[in-house]
Amino acid sequence: MERRSNWKGWLYLSPALVLIALFTIFPIINTFIISFMKDYNYASGANEGFTFDNYGIILGLTPLIPGDDSTRVTEFIRYALPNTLIITFVTVPISVLLSLMIAVGLNRIKKVRSFFQTIFFLPYVTNTIAVGMVFAQIFSHTGLFNSIFGLENVYWLEQGMTTWGRSMFLICLYVIWTALPFKILIFASALQSIDKQYYDAARIDASPRWKTDLKIVFPLISPQILYVSVTSFISGFKEYNAIIGLFNRSYTSDGNLHDLYTVVYYIYDQIQSDSAVRHLDYAAAGSVVLFVIIFAFTLLQMQVSKKRIHY
Amino acid sequence: MEIKLVDLTKIYPGDEKKGVLETRAVDSLNVTIEDGELVGLLGPSGCGKSTTLYMISGLTDPTEGEIWFDEEDVTNLETEKRGIGLVFQNYALYPHMTVYRNIAFPLTNLRIYTEKKDWRLSYLWELQQAMGRKEEIRSILHSCREGKTIHRKTALACLTKKMGVSLSVAKALYRLPYLDETKDGEIETRKEKVLHAFERRKERREKWGYRFDENLCIVAKGKLSFLTKKKEVEDGTPYMVTRKLTKDEVDSLVRDVARLVQIEEYLDRKPAQLSGGQQQRVAIARALVKKPKVLLLDEPLSNLDARLRLQTRAEIRRIQKETKITTVFVTHDQDEAMSICDKIVVMKDGLSMQVGKPQDVYRDPDNLFVAKFLGNPPINVFRGYIKDGKCYLQGEEILSCPGVADQNVHVGIRPEGLLPAEDGVLSLNIVEIQTKGKDVDLIGEHPSFEGERLVVTVDSEDDLAPGRRRFNLRPSKVYLFEEKSEKRIRF
Amino acid sequence: MEQEIQTHLNLIIPRRKGDLRKTERRDKVLHVLSLVLVYLFLAFFAFIVLFPFYYMIVASFMTEDQLTTGGFFPTDGNILENIAFNYSHTINNEGFPYFRLVLNTVIVGLGTTCGSLVITILSAFAFSKLEFRGREILFTIFLATMMIPGEMMVITNYITMSTLDLAYADQTQFQVYLTLILPFLCNVFYIYLLRQNFKQIPNELYLAAKVDGKSDWQYLWKVMVPLAMPTLITIFILQFIESWNSYVWPRTIIINRDPNFSVLSVALRGTAFRYLDRLDQWRPMYTWQMAATVLTTVPLLILFILFRKYIMRGIARAGIKG
Repeated sequence: MERRSNWKGWLYLSPALVLIALFTIFPIINTFIISFMKDYNYASGANEGFTFDNYGIILGLTPLIPGDDSTRVTEFIRYALPNTLIITFVTVPISVLLSLMIAVGLNRIKKVRSFFQTIFFLPYVTNTIAVGMVFAQIFSHTGLFNSIFGLENVYWLEQGMTTWGRSMFLICLYVIWTALPFKILIFASALQSIDKQYYDAARIDASPRWKTDLKIVFPLISPQILYVSVTSFISGFKEYNAIIGLFNRSYTSDGNLHDLYTVVYYIYDQIQSDSAVRHLDYAAAGSVVLFVIIFAFTLLQMQVSKKRIHY
Repeated sequence: MEIKLVDLTKIYPGDEKKGVLETRAVDSLNVTIEDGELVGLLGPSGCGKSTTLYMISGLTDPTEGEIWFDEEDVTNLETEKRGIGLVFQNYALYPHMTVYRNIAFPLTNLRIYTEKKDWRLSYLWELQQAMGRKEEIRSILHSCREGKTIHRKTALACLTKKMGVSLSVAKALYRLPYLDETKDGEIETRKEKVLHAFERRKERREKWGYRFDENLCIVAKGKLSFLTKKKEVEDGTPYMVTRKLTKDEVDSLVRDVARLVQIEEYLDRKPAQLSGGQQQRVAIARALVKKPKVLLLDEPLSNLDARLRLQTRAEIRRIQKETKITTVFVTHDQDEAMSICDKIVVMKDGLSMQVGKPQDVYRDPDNLFVAKFLGNPPINVFRGYIKDGKCYLQGEEILSCPGVADQNVHVGIRPEGLLPAEDGVLSLNIVEIQTKGKDVDLIGEHPSFEGERLVVTVDSEDDLAPGRRRFNLRPSKVYLFEEKSEKRIRF
Repeated sequence: MEQEIQTHLNLIIPRRKGDLRKTERRDKVLHVLSLVLVYLFLAFFAFIVLFPFYYMIVASFMTEDQLTTGGFFPTDGNILENIAFNYSHTINNEGFPYFRLVLNTVIVGLGTTCGSLVITILSAFAFSKLEFRGREILFTIFLATMMIPGEMMVITNYITMSTLDLAYADQTQFQVYLTLILPFLCNVFYIYLLRQNFKQIPNELYLAAKVDGKSDWQYLWKVMVPLAMPTLITIFILQFIESWNSYVWPRTIIINRDPNFSVLSVALRGTAFRYLDRLDQWRPMYTWQMAATVLTTVPLLILFILFRKYIMRGIARAGIKG
């Protein structure tokens, strides 16, 4: 019986195993290897051996032509990485705080709560690309936003007219909009699962409502707050769709300045590039860098919050 | 504080769609709880006793009726402003806070009405005084020693407790090198400095126009009217202020109450690290720390095991006696209520059945429900009838009750109200004998018995064997109740 | 025992002395006021959340001239005519063959969802009820892969698809389906989710089924699957939403530029909606673009409204991040 069960388990798992090996495990290893290959050609698989150059090139340390400093590629280190960090560190705290406040608000009301909850959840099921295009429409220079606020000749996204700062503002705004629903839902359901007795106890203790929220309720849902922050930092580091939806390009003005790159945008641009040479080796190196950042940051967050999480 | 409940009613509305019926959880309850009394609300589950408690606390709004605290009608006053302590059935301790912070939490929301002090000045004075008690400090620090290290928190706790100094002074003392005897001189010079700082500050304040009394409280000197909203005060009267509690005050209050409920050792733990009994004490401490005028306990013992329950109920009694706080306490366990309450309110279906001292209610029940609910083993109830002022069971005359009209009745006889006697008036078929130490329970049968188990409690010295026996009745332990209304028939 | 309660302290609750009615009235007013503020706050953000949806629909009812000059309502021209004009041109746009795109997207969505459901059920069953050596280690490896950003896999998957001759400029429709479905058939998170659910089903049921002579296979489909139905529906809907909204992978792997082979979000972003006017000039038509976003978004919104409870409860319980 034991033995039969033994092969049976593997039998049931076999489809998953084949797929995960082919499309998950093998790619992870392979991508890692590619990132260390010199002059990798994806079509033939040919390469010139082991090198750190791919990392050197995307990090702007190694010139493309040895010895010629003018051939340094800087778009990854100058734009993709900083933009990613800015987007993440601007949008995550704001959206976490905002969704926490909205969830607390939802928790206070009784009437029409589920109606509000449904509304706040809507962006989750919508297409980031599609709504990004709507945002682009609202923020076009003759669009609704400018006409409401009486702004003339302020360009948020027109090619050649907008600035990096304005574009980033718009991106952050949109990322926050898309990031809210998931967080609100998690927080709202966490708040609803708190034992009502804690609220009663706090009232008996004559605690004002805001203090109850701050000193009792938030610590009680600290595991969910940690979870939401970790996941939203990860998805912040992987931001891509918002920029495609809004801009559909990686630059604010013409030229080769990809000043709207994020790390993931950079990676996909290398893969999707229409030019004959696709630098999948750079993309691989970029994705390894992304992995390292995410991994390190998640560990850091876990470590820091260990002291602050109460369960 | 006296609590008065006037026609208190709670109706939970039904929902026709869901087929939920309207329920009257509490129905026109009228009870007066005297100042300093320990009152038990007693009844089976669903009788409305907890609802009553929560209405007193303000967490549940009454549908009708009034709640009075002394001369104040608090019916519509918010819970926060009622100043009551409530111990929840499962304690509701904040799981993320230490015991200390749990107890301190209510204090952070309170204000204190007191003389105005210059804190720095009092601190310097107290510190200067304490620094002189060198030997005492040294021995305390030595006693807190574990191996080579001294745990800061224990040391601070010992210093505040044994020397009676405030937390901030204790912290300062802890920082000074008392354990290094070679540094005595340094401590002396420090002490001088503190005294000097004290004098300088006092001088400067006095130059500004402040005046201090012997306790360093600020007293009026005409000009200082900016400290109060009143224009002028008589010379020399202390200024009074309403302010938040200082850390030192919170600390001393928390430690006092922790001592009262005997949980001092656990102050730094989280509630999850405590046993049920300890958690319960913490919950009581949290309720007591703000010196409430009313303490409410919702089934405080139901989550404890049998041994702890006995111990804790004595403890509650002790604490209540010491603090003299008016206490209302909800329970379904008649033993609990009987043993510690000054007064009990027996409830059923939202109605108050009887109010009185536990012994009185037991000895003299007003109706069949109360008679059945109190007493362990429970009262034995028989179907009987009255004819010509005499009470009959199955044709046997057991009791004369002159003046009572002829009718069918319930006859309640307490287990200890039956005495074995050869010529007794009542005959029972004894089927089983259970020895319970001092007492013996006889399990019997009788054709007109209404309950499930007929029990007679007798002294173990009476040697009895199963079979048909005759018993006499103790008239004070026999009650007659009307058949329909189940009200007591007194004669 | 000496127990002394400090009595010199005069603790008070912060409330006005004396007039109790005044306190009550003040509390009531404050309470109502705070509630009003909460509602206003929520309404404000609800407005912000809803506004893009509103504007998307309204913009698709406008004339192009009005859209480029702003306005909250379609006031220019006959609205019905605008709608007919915009939507007919959107649906018949050669870069955006709507019904074909919906068909493609639904096929890919259902293919991914159904395939992954079967695989998820089988794996979750193996991980929760079957005993075999290496089970725990294997499960840990599965979970560990969730830590790794998908971008690492996309690169090699793209190469794999090229090597398998599935991704090239003249790929067939079937090859497009394959490339879109295959990599997403095994979702570790859903396996994890379902395994948790399966684990809650008491083992006695399993043993009872054994006694009744049921095989593992019958037990799985006759007992476990019906019991785990709510979770399965949640997984189904979430996977479908994910597949419907996915952009990056289709954009990468659909190399054939014929829009008939594409899926909704790729075609939506990839099409330049424009109109050859009387002066023989191409004019960008943003109203058509907005109509296209409505056509892309609305089917999912309908699905969401129908299955609102399943989706929200499922996500709240599982904490799924899209």
